Amino acid sequence: MFLNPWSLALSLCSLIVLVLGAVAGRTAVRVLRFWEPGSDSNRQIRLENAIWLSSTLIAYGLGFQIITLILFVLAADEFCQVIVGAMCATGALLANPYGMPALLIKLVGVFFYGFWILLHQLDIRSEQYPLVRLKYLTLLLLLPLLLLDVSLQTLYIAGIKPDIITSCCAVVFGESNGGGSNLLSGYSQQGLLLAFAGSIVSLAALGLGLGLSRRWRPWLAGLYAAGWLWFFGLSLVVITTVISSYVYAMPYHKCPFCLLKPEYYYFGFALYGTLIPATFFGVSAAFAGLVRGRPGLAGVVARYQRLAVRLSLILLGIFSGLSFYHYLKYLVSGGEG
Amino acid sequence: MAQRNLEKQLNILDYALSSLWRRRLKSLSVLLVFAAVIFLLASFQMVTKALSDKAREVLVHTPEITLQKMSVGRQEAIPLAYRDRLAGIFGIRRVVPRIWGYYFDEVRLANYTVMGMAVEEMPDGARLDTALASGTMPGPAGQGLVAIGQSIKKALALEGRTTFSLFRPDLSLKAFEVSGEFSPDTDILTNDLVVMNLADARDLFAIPAGLVTDLCVYVANPQEIDTIAKKISETMPSVRVLTRPQIQKTYQVVFGWRSGFGSICLLTALAAFVILAWDKASGLSPEERREIAILKVLGWQTSDILVVRFWESVIVSGLACVVGMTAAYIHVVYFAASLFRPVLMGWSVLRPDLHLLPRLAAGDILLTLAFTVIPYLAATVIPAWRSATVPADSALGG
Repeated sequence: MFLNPWSLALSLCSLIVLVLGAVAGRTAVRVLRFWEPGSDSNRQIRLENAIWLSSTLIAYGLGFQIITLILFVLAADEFCQVIVGAMCATGALLANPYGMPALLIKLVGVFFYGFWILLHQLDIRSEQYPLVRLKYLTLLLLLPLLLLDVSLQTLYIAGIKPDIITSCCAVVFGESNGGGSNLLSGYSQQGLLLAFAGSIVSLAALGLGLGLSRRWRPWLAGLYAAGWLWFFGLSLVVITTVISSYVYAMPYHKCPFCLLKPEYYYFGFALYGTLIPATFFGVSAAFAGLVRGRPGLAGVVARYQRLAVRLSLILLGIFSGLSFYHYLKYLVSGGEG
Repeated sequence: MAQRNLEKQLNILDYALSSLWRRRLKSLSVLLVFAAVIFLLASFQMVTKALSDKAREVLVHTPEITLQKMSVGRQEAIPLAYRDRLAGIFGIRRVVPRIWGYYFDEVRLANYTVMGMAVEEMPDGARLDTALASGTMPGPAGQGLVAIGQSIKKALALEGRTTFSLFRPDLSLKAFEVSGEFSPDTDILTNDLVVMNLADARDLFAIPAGLVTDLCVYVANPQEIDTIAKKISETMPSVRVLTRPQIQKTYQVVFGWRSGFGSICLLTALAAFVILAWDKASGLSPEERREIAILKVLGWQTSDILVVRFWESVIVSGLACVVGMTAAYIHVVYFAASLFRPVLMGWSVLRPDLHLLPRLAAGDILLTLAFTVIPYLAATVIPAWRSATVPADSALGG
């Protein structure tokens, strides 16, 4: 179903990102072949100019990808009106096998583009540009991801037929009663909430330990990063199975996408908008540690790591406040736990 | 550090604003063309949104299931006797016959929608009176009574009279008396409508007794619509079964399709604008080259100049968006989207006065932004880099 404004906007944005990526990729190949930091030849000066272009292009690409991620979810929500049996984005995304993978790749992509930009920012802080080769090698690795993203999205849009019967979210995430299409079930709510709260507390403790200790301990940072990755997955599950139904004030409505609708005051944007950057900063502190040994980077990386840990802790605080708000409101107003 | 960074961004923003102001003619021309493109795209989207909302709102009152008899791939009259065959299906609240068609008035060259229905049998029949500005709905007893819409009143030039006549197929005249008049609020439905009772409609169209055009099936529980529809089509394979959700989805698809088609047409305008923006951004005048060279000599880095160019693009597209979208809103709300209405609405001589009120969700604004701002930013980034990498000595030394 390409003849729909949402499909068109998505395809247009992806096309633009692809073009920007291709131009950046061309620079990457040239840099990998001809980069000579010591030389002052014409070619080297041209290359030093060209790296500005590629980094700007990737930064734009990241911004555009974040917008397409939001657009994609909103588009799925819009598509559900024309797909028989779908009532929200869940049904629309499950309408064919490419919907969920496309969303997942977009989400993963946002993290990877973010890491690349971090790499670039660290690189330009040092006068020797120590990360140039690494940077452009990873840029070339990003391009297949971009291509995969665009192809999955195109396949998804092409595969939407307005007459396929799919499930509405009440079936997919709801209590299982023999139906085989349940995505997330079998977790006890209390156990999940306990694990969620426990993870928040241990992450906060780890982060505080990391931020307050004088010496930077790589193993602690690694643990922190792993903790964040675990917490990210857990949060998505908890948002879907526990938090969402408190936001909707409906026990059987469990959906991670309806949160983004205006009916719920765009609550989902606040929720995901803190969770995703928090995870990024939490993971990137350890990630930046990998290049700490490069010439001229020790001070820069150390500064970034402190900042990232601090930011991730602040965002963690906001996120836990947001996620428990509706639950606590429900308990305070007399609901049963 | 954060403080210093913010300070730096603010200074750069300051510089970007002053640089836009120095080239105000160039900036203004880009801004105006951009705003025009956004205006076209945004009003198209707003009309679609408003119309599909309206369609959804209107369809709430249609019967849950409509039955039409098909023969040789065409719709034909359905026997009233078919009602008995539905008796065995549980969950059906009521089956109401309806005669529904168009009457072409050869004098005034307009189509009227004629509906003959048994108002007293409809579940919400009594509430139909609330749609009337004056009078009552024609009942089963009132021979020759009709309720008419606003356009019909105008087309027939009634002006105080309450009687008029229409031709039967054999060109004999049938007289009608106006018993009620629909209020202008329901114009989208009732504008060209003439409502009468079944017997009168049968007489006007010369339909044999025992036949109607379709049967409306009212279902007690909306959850059962699909099941009941399936059972009906199994019992009577020759009958076309239309359910309300199906009709609703079809409207959404049609509006989505038309809006997509319109957007494709407008993409040409967008492409032209992007080329213009690219061209304007790449043509560096000697003064601009000198300006950048001076900045470089003063210690600005390539990245700083790129940031200036980024802010310039953001300011231009932000202003263009505000102007374009406001204009689009005014166009849709106060001028009823007169530019695009013929594309999106059906063709008809008697056109209702539409009052469209687009519901603006954040998602729709984002959609418009994705259509317009992203291509613009992408088109200006490479020229911006070209200008930012002008070597410091090239403009000054030579």
